[in-house]
Amino acid sequence: MKSFLSNTILIFLVRIFLGGLFVVAGLDKITDTQAFANSVLQYKVVGPTLAMCTATILPSLELLCGLSLIIGFYPRSCELLMTIMLIGFTILVASALIRGLDISCGCFTQDPNTSKIGYQKILENCGLIVLSVWLLFGQNQDINLFQFFRKQPDKSIT
Amino acid sequence: MRQAILEAFILIVAAIILGVAYTFITKQGFFAKTQPIHSAAASNIEMIPFAMAKDIFESNKALFIDSRHEFDYQSGHIRGAVNIALKMFDTHLTRLNKIPKDKLLIVYCDGAECNSSIEMAVKLIESGFTNVKVFFGGWQEWNSAKLPVEK
Repeated sequence: MKSFLSNTILIFLVRIFLGGLFVVAGLDKITDTQAFANSVLQYKVVGPTLAMCTATILPSLELLCGLSLIIGFYPRSCELLMTIMLIGFTILVASALIRGLDISCGCFTQDPNTSKIGYQKILENCGLIVLSVWLLFGQNQDINLFQFFRKQPDKSIT
Repeated sequence: MRQAILEAFILIVAAIILGVAYTFITKQGFFAKTQPIHSAAASNIEMIPFAMAKDIFESNKALFIDSRHEFDYQSGHIRGAVNIALKMFDTHLTRLNKIPKDKLLIVYCDGAECNSSIEMAVKLIESGFTNVKVFFGGWQEWNSAKLPVEK
């Protein structure tokens, strides 16, 4: 089991998956800052100014973390930031559900009529948190996209 | 882990620079000419696009409220719209209270350059109206589409 969890290919694939998710989420948000600020406001946790600050910085951070994780640049810090972000998102969604807010998630699309928050979203986020924590505390931090596809030296010649 | 925290800090700083630069170049967020978010209450207001405003107008199910000055209203307005200038809101309260609270109200002003429609919508919601939407394209978009107007 331990060798399975430290499998290079598996770690690489999970990084691509998690990084890809963050890139997709970041791209959607960055294209319409106002719409994302409105989504943040819907959670009724911060005021308009802080919502706009969040809408300015968060999509870039998601994009940077996603891309960095895929190419293997600063992987551990990306995994750390992703874990923090995912925990934050999950707490936000849970608090909104507890307060009875019927709002859209604002996670992957800013369309107010789609992707309403629910317990399913919390489960999804928990799954992503497990993956990011596993990557964060995993051993193979040196894998990167370039090394992965680099031709391995022929060890048969000694 | 200390190294990771340091690198994370670098990523955050890079994201701040990237985010500010991007919104500055694309004139979004803090650098937008108009800022749709007016207040926390504005987050409850649905902004409707031109096509939806047109559909609602044709279905005759809503009351259109023109939040511009009376002079502008007299110069031309969406057919059937009533004029409640933002500054005159309090004087129109008696008139407004005759309208059912669940009536669909579409508020508009001049267009994307004005915010009085949002301020008006906030006031309407605070007065108990539950179905308030803002036609953000406003008079300019409506008039340029040659849709029914009156003077």
